[in-house]
Amino acid sequence: MLTNLLAIGPELVLTLTVVLVLIADLVIGDRPARRGSLAVLSFAGLAAAAATFFLLPDGGPAAFGGLVSGDGLGVFFRGLFLVAAFFGVAFGALSDEIPVERFGEYAAMLLATTLGMSFLVQSQNLLMILLSLELVSLPSYVLAGFRRGDSRSSEAALKYVLYGAAASGLMLYGFSLLYGMAGTLDLSAIGPALNAKAAGGSVGIRAGIALAALLSLAGFGYKVAAVPFHQWCPDVYEGAPTPVTAFLSVGPKAAGVAALIRFVVIGFGASVATPPAGGLPWPVLLGVLAMATMTLGNLAAIPQDNVKRLLAYSSIAHAGYLLMGIAVGTPDAVQAVAVYLPIYLLMNLGAFLAVMAVRAKTGSETIADYRGLVARSPALSIALAIFLFSLTGLPPLAGFIGKFYLFAAVVKAGTPFFYVLAIVGVLNSVVSLFYYARLVKAMFLEASPDGAPAVLVPVPVGLLLAILAIPTLVLGLWWSPLADLAARAAGIVG
Amino acid sequence: MESQTLPYIALGITVAFSVGIAMVILVLNRLLGPHRMNAEKGAPFECGSDPVDSPGKRVNVRFYVVAIFFVVFDIEAVFLFPWAVLYRELLATPAFGMLALAEVVVFLGILAMGLWYVWGKGALDWAFDAPASRRNHG
Amino acid sequence: MTDPIVSAMVFYALAAFTLVAAGFVALSGNIVHSAFALFATLFGVAGLYAYLSADLLAVVQMLVYVGGISVLVLFAVMLTSGLDGPLTSNPTFRLGGGIVLMLAVAAAAFVAATAVPSGVESAAVPTTAAIGDALLGAYVLPFEVVSVVLLAALVGAVTLARGYKGGHR
Repeated sequence: MLTNLLAIGPELVLTLTVVLVLIADLVIGDRPARRGSLAVLSFAGLAAAAATFFLLPDGGPAAFGGLVSGDGLGVFFRGLFLVAAFFGVAFGALSDEIPVERFGEYAAMLLATTLGMSFLVQSQNLLMILLSLELVSLPSYVLAGFRRGDSRSSEAALKYVLYGAAASGLMLYGFSLLYGMAGTLDLSAIGPALNAKAAGGSVGIRAGIALAALLSLAGFGYKVAAVPFHQWCPDVYEGAPTPVTAFLSVGPKAAGVAALIRFVVIGFGASVATPPAGGLPWPVLLGVLAMATMTLGNLAAIPQDNVKRLLAYSSIAHAGYLLMGIAVGTPDAVQAVAVYLPIYLLMNLGAFLAVMAVRAKTGSETIADYRGLVARSPALSIALAIFLFSLTGLPPLAGFIGKFYLFAAVVKAGTPFFYVLAIVGVLNSVVSLFYYARLVKAMFLEASPDGAPAVLVPVPVGLLLAILAIPTLVLGLWWSPLADLAARAAGIVG
Repeated sequence: MESQTLPYIALGITVAFSVGIAMVILVLNRLLGPHRMNAEKGAPFECGSDPVDSPGKRVNVRFYVVAIFFVVFDIEAVFLFPWAVLYRELLATPAFGMLALAEVVVFLGILAMGLWYVWGKGALDWAFDAPASRRNHG
Repeated sequence: MTDPIVSAMVFYALAAFTLVAAGFVALSGNIVHSAFALFATLFGVAGLYAYLSADLLAVVQMLVYVGGISVLVLFAVMLTSGLDGPLTSNPTFRLGGGIVLMLAVAAAAFVAATAVPSGVESAAVPTTAAIGDALLGAYVLPFEVVSVVLLAALVGAVTLARGYKGGHR
């Protein structure tokens, strides 16, 4: 019993934090220190949750009769989500888009999402996956619609809900078929059961498995914003308040990627190194999905004028890169994904923080208003340029290391299909340089529009920018600690 | 097996019977009653009043929020049924009984927290944003 | 089991009732009529659950869907503007696409149904106690997570509804 509880220690602390934040929200009322005290309470909860990582049972046994797994993959991502939640709360506390009287709700919803993500990455059971996914989604919908009386924010929330409900429904149907065919909800037992069925089975059984797997994919595809489940993404990212967009673009996306790894690689045991799992060619299937996702994301990003929309399409493209890693499915590839995601978190959060800072002063999110930003705010411009070039994957920035690991894993797969996939990926990175550089060019090479306000960055925002920018630089040169951590996370497939 | 399906048959007969009675009464009313409609008959009588507005107005959004609360607590109640069915049996072993009680107390505690929050924020207070809504209608 | 013919008759009666009601939801020109037909559809599904001797599920279907969600749907209908005018719903019937979709779903359902070897006749026993046992034992973690999901739903409803206070003009 105690081992079980210790195994979900961080989640217990997070639950307690959500409840405490709600109580504090009621108790504090309209006092002036409201925002600060709620933020401090949230940070304390996150720190306490991080501390419980040291109490996790050794060896990562499965807890609660195999419902949740204590393996390295889960631990790695649960840690990452605490970091994402820290920045999410901090962004919200610093943004004027989150009114002070609603900050308690913001923090509680964000921490509840984090709790869901945390459960999602360790779920070893279809029921648990579905439930955690709902716990991620429900508060996300609320966060997306957070801007009071703003029709774009309401539209974002509505689209998010409708797409989310449809995706959950498809996924639930897929899961129920899987349960019917495999006779178990346990992820580690589904793969073998389906393999046994598919091996001697008729075409009908194979088609049934394929149908179930594809329907299940819909739910994950929606969370990571992969084509063809990406349509909600640009509208939601544009309409939601910027801190929310920043959090949604890294948190739930990373959770979806990790859950997809667990579902495909551990559940079905699929990778290029193993025979088709459940009679399905997973690597090619996911590889095609990856190509479509990154190509569409990058091409659609080019004509965008709104920076948040541009970053939304860029995040779709990055989901495509990550899908490449899941398609390969070898331990190397899982390690590459685990290297990529923390770096993606840093640079994407950084880019959104810069957007937030510009918006706070100019009230605008269009690229035209970024013209000549270097003269008005040199440090901010340089930081944003670092994040953008890192998102492109240019050396010597961290983004290059992430892409290097991913492409290396794809090339190592060694089949013609994966060579093609790698080439498509590289071409896509070149395309992405075009639109990232367009923003950089506007900032550095074009003259400010007349009467454009100076963009003074408040000290806390500057501090956070530095906290995000410095690792983006350092990890590009000295990445071995991250690679080691990621290798431990990938130990599961070895 | 027979004993398992018999209650369902009995249930089916009950449903058929009650629906049938209602139908028979409606149909008989239609067939036997005189139908001479005039304006006087259509007017509200004694305990009614003249309609002030068409009934097809937009409903206040607050109804919807209350309905959502209802559904949430409805689902909570649903999760208590299986527990309630089992609890007396579990009490036979005190350790199990305490564990079952603790599990359900945590479940209810978290939701009670939600109720407290909803209450504290004034969302159960019917007039909590009355000035704003009056502005909207006025 | 009872007479298979009686059993089949009960099933087809329930299925027909559900399908007719569902057809009414999809085809009625009046959105309020559609909403009420949805009551009947959900009620029919509850009947199917009872027929399959999933007693708890049938009760849940009645309580949550027939009792709760339907009311929610009805409120949603009444929240829409323009109730004074003609209550139109389903203004277009994309018959071709609809038939294609229906055939695709039917094919998928057939494939899925035949993929599972049938003939495993589970005994018709009360399920509530067994489900309770699972909720308190093996599945206690999801049971508690559900309460957090419901908490998030409550807080979220308050958050979004309060947004209307100043913004709805």
